[in-house]
Amino acid sequence: MTDTQAPAVRTDNTERATPKRETHIKMAARDVNVFYGTSHAIRDVSIDVDMENVTAFIGPSGCGKSTFLRTLNRMNDTIPIARVTGDITLDGEDIYSPDMDVVQLRARVGMVFQKPNPFPKSIYENVAYGPRIHGLAPAKRDLDGIVESALKRAGLWEEVKDRLDDSGTALSGGQQQRLCIARAIAVDPEVILMDEPCSALDPIATAKIEELIHALRGKYAIVIVTHNMQQAARVSQKTAFFHLGHLVEYGETSEIFTNPREERTKDYITGRYG
Amino acid sequence: MNNPPAPDAGAPRRPTDWRGTAMQRRIRRRYAAERRFRLIGLGAVVLSAGFLAFLLITMLSNGIAGFTRTEVTLPIDFRAAQLDVTPQQLESRGADLALAGAGLEELVERSATAAFGAHGPDVISPHAWTGVRDALKDDPSLLNRKAAISVPVSQDLKSALDGAGKPEMQAIAAKLKQHDMIGSSFDFGFLMSADSTDPTDVGIWGAVKGSLFTMLVTLAIAFPIGVLSAVYLEEYARKNRWTDLIEVSINNLAAVPSIIFGLLGLAVFLSFMNLPRSASLVGGLTLALMIMPVIVIASRNAIKAVPPSIRDAALGVGASKVQVIFHHVLPLALPGILTGTIIGMARALGETAPLLMIGMRAFIAQPPEGLTDPATVLPVQIFLWSDQISRGFVERTSAAIIVLLLFLLAMNALAIYLRNRFETRW
Repeated sequence: MTDTQAPAVRTDNTERATPKRETHIKMAARDVNVFYGTSHAIRDVSIDVDMENVTAFIGPSGCGKSTFLRTLNRMNDTIPIARVTGDITLDGEDIYSPDMDVVQLRARVGMVFQKPNPFPKSIYENVAYGPRIHGLAPAKRDLDGIVESALKRAGLWEEVKDRLDDSGTALSGGQQQRLCIARAIAVDPEVILMDEPCSALDPIATAKIEELIHALRGKYAIVIVTHNMQQAARVSQKTAFFHLGHLVEYGETSEIFTNPREERTKDYITGRYG
Repeated sequence: MNNPPAPDAGAPRRPTDWRGTAMQRRIRRRYAAERRFRLIGLGAVVLSAGFLAFLLITMLSNGIAGFTRTEVTLPIDFRAAQLDVTPQQLESRGADLALAGAGLEELVERSATAAFGAHGPDVISPHAWTGVRDALKDDPSLLNRKAAISVPVSQDLKSALDGAGKPEMQAIAAKLKQHDMIGSSFDFGFLMSADSTDPTDVGIWGAVKGSLFTMLVTLAIAFPIGVLSAVYLEEYARKNRWTDLIEVSINNLAAVPSIIFGLLGLAVFLSFMNLPRSASLVGGLTLALMIMPVIVIASRNAIKAVPPSIRDAALGVGASKVQVIFHHVLPLALPGILTGTIIGMARALGETAPLLMIGMRAFIAQPPEGLTDPATVLPVQIFLWSDQISRGFVERTSAAIIVLLLFLLAMNALAIYLRNRFETRW
């Protein structure tokens, strides 16, 4: 790691990014560090995620944006050598405290992955799985309702309503990804984390997902990791630029893309490296 | 842009001569190598298929005779004999005892002497009278008339019919053939009775039942323990020196010669735990120890093959670890686990050595009724019969081998079916 001087923009971004209207901060990270064994993947990252805006994480490959995303619902717990320090709160509750039930946390902070990963079960079962294990639907009728509304919100209902018993893996890539979004929505989360949700999709499917993100904005706090800067510009209102494990700059998307304060941000978004 | 420049970038390269003789030769050599390799592969396949065909043909040609029994038509005059039994007795439960008490066996021997001469009793099987007994039970009206009943022939006559054995028997055999009194039929007794000292009377059912009981115990012990160990090792155990050690031990256990497991079973189950000797319970436990490593290894591989994206997906909607395992990982790994288990079971079904160590080689003339009854199993039965000097056992041995092979074939077919049927694509 050559980058030893800590970037100036770490904690003061909150005041800088203070938007004009009142926002409700959903998740807040303070001085978060992530270690994989001896390697230091995330360095002193502090960031707020709010309810009203879509937050995009951008940065070159290996900069730690996906790693950081996975700390927000403790998916890093599954990696034995990963270690997280610092505070991350959801509605003011420390998600790494022993009182926090990680299973409930992941229901409240849903996740959509890079590669569409529907269960090799029916479309219905894919969406119904979450509500069922959390006991959200006592009767079959309630479950049907949840499945239908989740699929409708994910914009997939019209395409699959006649074949809910078909396997989820038989859908096209874009449909599979929307099915995964429906699956995440079905447990009624508060935050949805999306880890490069369009990287395996063609442009048309990507456009559909982006529309969907627009439609979901405001109902859920949405954080999206993307390699595609146009996509970040299109779907997000706030953008965070990560580089070598540091949060270099965080602010309004329009601001970051037109008038970045940091030299490195500017270099990255103009394609100088990455 | 950051590629280092080639060391001799300045010198112009001569254009490659794709049609030159050196190039042509290289191409020819390449094709020749390919042909050679294909021929060697084909040769290997043909050779192994040939061995298999030889085995099957030998077994079938010997074994088919083992499934049939040679019969001779024996005329018996029941009316003249005046057996001391009533038709009512024949209908009742005590019929066997009544007929034995009434001297049916002697009657059959007398009839044989009358029909075939002084050597008559040697012509028919010593158990022939039980066939007559069953015929009487089926049709009590026989008591009042003369009847010709097909009874199994003795081993001596059977040899004589094949052109071997004692000269006096050969003479009788020739005469019987002339009068067309020799027949053969499918031997249901072979499929329904147990071991015996007389090859015309042996059956495979005792061994089949013993094998079934043994396999049942093996499956009931080895499958849950093996699969749960695999789940624990794959999903819960931390990777450290201890788990490495366990992994190496399991792989080594899978390669330990089976007779060692027999000694282990002898020491633990018989000497220490005092379980009954020769019982299918002990055999099953011993074989379970033997195939457990196989199941653990197969299950671990199947679990490892479940893509991490499925685990992530389940964890991502808030499934707990146990839910991830039981709702997603195990169902997806099940075809692999079952295939491994069936292959392990097939190995256990064909295993002889460890069962000899725990006393399952005893002569057992009664099919086992329960797990703790003395029993034998198919491969041990084959081993025991192949040791017999009497000629009749050669055919019986082959017939038993065919039965064993059919079982193995069925199990392997099941494994293939399961693999294809439940193979999931993601």
